[in-house]
Amino acid sequence: MADAVIVVSLLLVAVTATAAVANRDPARQALVLSVLGLVLAVLFTVLQAPDVGLSQLAVGSALTPLLIMLSVRRVKRRGQPKDGGR
Amino acid sequence: MNDWNLAATLLLAVGAGAAVWGVSTGPLRRRVVAQNLSTSAVCPSLLLLAQGYDRPSYVDLALLLALLGPVGTLVFARLLSDELTDDPPRARGLTWAAAGLGAVTVVVLCAAVGPSRAMVKLLVIGALLIGGNVVASRALSGGFRGVRGG
Repeated sequence: MADAVIVVSLLLVAVTATAAVANRDPARQALVLSVLGLVLAVLFTVLQAPDVGLSQLAVGSALTPLLIMLSVRRVKRRGQPKDGGR
Repeated sequence: MNDWNLAATLLLAVGAGAAVWGVSTGPLRRRVVAQNLSTSAVCPSLLLLAQGYDRPSYVDLALLLALLGPVGTLVFARLLSDELTDDPPRARGLTWAAAGLGAVTVVVLCAAVGPSRAMVKLLVIGALLIGGNVVASRALSGGFRGVRGG
């Protein structure tokens, strides 16, 4: 019974990671990835590694989505004038 | 397994589960709302876990999440603004429900901790969580249109 919280967070990680792979649009993937960062931080906390969770939280919730969204924006902007926004 | 951990497990299963489902299906406007509300579901459960494990230092995780979660949502609100202006996401009821959840959790934990420095920290986390949630939700629904050009 004491492991219920570990099981729940493991299940959440598995479902979120699968959803991140199943989405095809990079912007939507970035949204799922930021939730995955949160869920992974909870998993690390539950496994008594809060220091790992702290760094995962810092990287996963703000930094990864920012990098992905900025590069998506750059790629879209570069693609538009050349071949009609393909 | 004590009651605090049980409450945290239930909150994770319901709140974070709903956030994961919302963020991985449906139109874009529902996804950004779910991403915003995932912060307000996970942060109270981290607070409950810290109380359940009897480790006050675990509260730092919730503090960092209350600070950085709204920042992540603001990143999406800014960089997805072109897609979101057409049909802006509106989730007034959900936002206030999440804020109420955070407030109830913080008040219950404050009652359990008693007046001390830890209680001040909890109150700061609660204020950050609710304020950040409301600001991020307002930004998603296009409340700060004047900033959009920058």
